[in-house]
Amino acid sequence: MAKEKDTKPMANTVIGSSIVIDGEITGEEPLTILGTVKGKISVAQSVTVEAGATVEADIEAQTVTVSGRLTGNVVARERLDLKPESKMVGDAKSPRIVIADGAGFKGNVDMDV
Amino acid sequence: MADKETVIGPETRISGEVRGEEDLIVRGRIDGKVQVTQTLTVEKGAIVQADVDVRHLVVSGTVVGAIVASESAKLTSTARVVGDLASPRVMMEAGAAYRGRVDMGDIAAARAAVSSHAVQRLAANEKAAVRPAPPRMATPAKAVVAGKAAAPVAPAAPAARSAVAAAASPPSPASPPAFPRVAGAMGAMTPAWAKKKIRRR
Repeated sequence: MAKEKDTKPMANTVIGSSIVIDGEITGEEPLTILGTVKGKISVAQSVTVEAGATVEADIEAQTVTVSGRLTGNVVARERLDLKPESKMVGDAKSPRIVIADGAGFKGNVDMDV
Repeated sequence: MADKETVIGPETRISGEVRGEEDLIVRGRIDGKVQVTQTLTVEKGAIVQADVDVRHLVVSGTVVGAIVASESAKLTSTARVVGDLASPRVMMEAGAAYRGRVDMGDIAAARAAVSSHAVQRLAANEKAAVRPAPPRMATPAKAVVAGKAAAPVAPAAPAARSAVAAAASPPSPASPPAFPRVAGAMGAMTPAWAKKKIRRR
């Protein structure tokens, strides 16, 4: 609900739905992806893969929220959130992992226990 | 609006290729290649070190690389741009710093020249032991068609290639062939030979 407001571009980085990035994204600010990213993502804050987005990349971030399709290994220092309708293939490493009802996931889970 | 707009924030850096069909606003940094069918806005403080192929270009920050803007290019008063610029409409405000060649004519030819740049850069990036054939060989037809526009690129190319060969080991991001040095301030960027050339023109 309030989420829709959050995705509006502020000081953050937003990769729009028609954008294709092939390479590496590094940063210190929240990253929202609606388009396609292939390669590697390394962000100090949150990464949000919105519905309709396709990410084929290894992700390293504080929190990772997936509503779209994600192929790659994820290291979330704080939290990984797989929303309903999301599809993820890859290994997940995070102290807190939330997989919602309806989410698709294939891979290893490592919660550091 | 919010849907059809991509923003690269000030603390974000992308190295690689960015393609798309919407407006792109850069406040951070992009190294590599940018190909957008709409407007690319490089805001003040932003750095784009890439070959750029867009419809409209508005620069308030720094751009280093070969630029093709198929409709218009605007350099505002805070712009710092190094690289050949091809666009039918070019606007430069007082205070803009620019070094390179402006071509308001044949965009298609310039685009071919830029893509051969890109091939060259990719080759440099891969830094394989076996150096691939020069890009001009890879796209002979385009190079011939390019004719006049491709010609100015040619003299700088051998120098750049030998520079790449000499500096094969350091993994520095490949700089545009015509402007081998890109780090540092505007003044430091300009090699002596380049200054001379501009003065003679």
